[in-house]
Amino acid sequence: MATQALTTTVRRQGRALAGTGGRTAALFLVPFFAVFVIAMIAPVIYSLVLSFHSQQKSGLGFGEAKTVFVGLENYVQVFQSETFMEGIARLGLYCLIYVPCMVGGAVVFALLLDATVAKARKLFQLLVFLPHAVPGVIAALIWAYLYTPGISPLVQALQGGGIQINFLDSHVVLPSIVNIGVWEWTGYNVIILFTALQAVPREILEAARVDGAGEIRAAVSIKFPLILPALSVIMLFTIIGTLQLFTEPNIISKATASVTSTWVPNLWAYDAAFIRHNLNQAAAASIIIAGLAAILSLAVTRLSSRMNKS
Amino acid sequence: MKRRHLFAGMAGLAASTLLLTACGTGPSTSAAPTPADDPSGSITFWSSLAGMDKVAEAFNASQDKIKVSFETIPNGANGGYAKLSTAITAGNGPDVATIEYPQLPQFVSNGQVIALDGLINKAETVDKLTDETKALVQFGEKTYALPYDAAPMLMWYRKDMLDKAGVEVPKTWDDFEQAGKKLKAVAPDSYLATFNPNEVAASAGLAWQAGAKWFGTEGDSWKVGVNDEATQKVAGYWQKLIDEKIVKVSQAYSDEWSLDLANSTVVGVLGGNWSATGIQKRTEASGQKGQWIAAELPTWGNESGAFYGGSSFNVTKSSKNPAAAAKFVEFLTTNQDAIKARGNTGSAFLAFPGLTPVAQKAYDSSYFGNDIYEVFNKAYGNITPGWQWGPNWDITNTALKDAYGKLTTGGTIDDAIDTAQDATVASLKQAGLSVKE
Repeated sequence: MATQALTTTVRRQGRALAGTGGRTAALFLVPFFAVFVIAMIAPVIYSLVLSFHSQQKSGLGFGEAKTVFVGLENYVQVFQSETFMEGIARLGLYCLIYVPCMVGGAVVFALLLDATVAKARKLFQLLVFLPHAVPGVIAALIWAYLYTPGISPLVQALQGGGIQINFLDSHVVLPSIVNIGVWEWTGYNVIILFTALQAVPREILEAARVDGAGEIRAAVSIKFPLILPALSVIMLFTIIGTLQLFTEPNIISKATASVTSTWVPNLWAYDAAFIRHNLNQAAAASIIIAGLAAILSLAVTRLSSRMNKS
Repeated sequence: MKRRHLFAGMAGLAASTLLLTACGTGPSTSAAPTPADDPSGSITFWSSLAGMDKVAEAFNASQDKIKVSFETIPNGANGGYAKLSTAITAGNGPDVATIEYPQLPQFVSNGQVIALDGLINKAETVDKLTDETKALVQFGEKTYALPYDAAPMLMWYRKDMLDKAGVEVPKTWDDFEQAGKKLKAVAPDSYLATFNPNEVAASAGLAWQAGAKWFGTEGDSWKVGVNDEATQKVAGYWQKLIDEKIVKVSQAYSDEWSLDLANSTVVGVLGGNWSATGIQKRTEASGQKGQWIAAELPTWGNESGAFYGGSSFNVTKSSKNPAAAAKFVEFLTTNQDAIKARGNTGSAFLAFPGLTPVAQKAYDSSYFGNDIYEVFNKAYGNITPGWQWGPNWDITNTALKDAYGKLTTGGTIDDAIDTAQDATVASLKQAGLSVKE
């Protein structure tokens, strides 16, 4: 997903800044920028152009459609669409549940793994990371199976214990999808945080111990503040990743009517482009989603750099 | 740090827009259709229908002028139309495509399929079809496709469960409701059928049978009536069935739906002639052989029915050899060898006269408790005339499907059809079409 691409772009940039510049740098940068322009910049520009135009027909609509410049009309239509705005609201709610659960979980797991008393560290590291090795589509399919009443051993077991729950009910389906995301991404972020924890200078921890800090005190007062930069990177990736939510609801929608074909903004854009055949509206929707991602990432980086300074 | 912001932002922007990179508007290659008596050359054929590779092979073997290369594509629900539509727009679509009836008008209206007039032998093809099938492929007096299968809508029942409830096969929708109530009396956890929110075409079929006209033309305007009087009657009726727990709301073909059939929670299927294989596959292991029967749809009092599914074959705008493509379309839709070559691919029912017996011979219907083809034939004879599909079915399809999402949390079918009506009218107007309500 985008996260991977981002890691590479950020890393590459760091190297470019560290280099001495000149021809060598250009030699190494050209391949990247060539691909970046063709695969990233050009489509963005093309989508922008598309989003300001519309395919207009007249009368019964049989015959060639005319492409006309409509200014911001597509954007207005997208914002006026009840289903799109519902999707945005739903995504906001998803973020609100997902980010604390996933990031909180990742921090706790990483600190536990780093604790000096931890045994079989490698094994637990692997176990925590394992769900991330399952491709997103497969994960969604597995969870769809685990959620479907009548089939799922999970639902059956809960019923046996006297708990009646339909994970696919329209009130519960959002947390159910959050759960898939948490299951998939916590392990990945644990690894990032754990790596950051490894970089915490041991002498500081030793000093803390000498001063009488226990494991928990050391984790909260020493380790946690020192991994804040890594945490802010995770937040950035997570927020961008959340805006891209598509696979899980798309798969779950086959199992229940509670997840509609325009459930989140990305699904809305997909449906507009490939089902309703309105590429222009889809382009406008995608630009809106991208704009939202840009604003949110800016906000997160601003916030975290301020936090890092203080 | 500054530059990193910009970078991260841009990467986010680009990643979101990546979604759209696949769809480009390439140069249009519109070849003027010219009739040719003896076309030759190579053509490509895309279909999601099983066994079509064998049909293409049979055609290649039967003559040496036209060579067809076949490619399987996903079906409509899995992105087949997205692929087809983008490929045609980009100018690298197939010569011959498979399009279902509800989607056909939008391909016609987008100029993505060409009129076959002048390319096909009309007297030997379209003229032999029934008026109801012709209406599915002709727009503005031009023929844009040849129909392959024509799927009459049906009800499938578990005969043993009807017997247990002490009821006959329901003849009217009123009987159907009574049968559901009696079934509840003997088997409280059972449902007579399911209502499938993901099968909007089934809702359309039920409305069609009742005489609804979701789409029609009035002069130079479309008339949209997704919530017309007949549809409201049907919506109210099915809502009542849902409220009385006579039918269960569940996604067709989902694991839950399959399991319900297998363990007798649901004892009826609203489907078409094509449902036979699906029912057999899902219930055979549970020892339900001989229990399933096909029946005509219950009616509202007089003989009536609707089509539910079926595909047509078309020549696309990107075809560089429309004459050869049309020749192959003729073979596909009217030649007995085409049906024979496909072998046993389920309980097919074909539009062109004389083809169905060939398909029937290849299909083993012994799993079922009655003569299903006799039922198909009867249902095919009672299609309610006057139905037309709209200029962008998938707008209505998405809108209704989305509105059905609220069915499990207090929403009603009545509300859903109102929402779908508004969404359809608004979207068509946005595309510049003239619409009357």
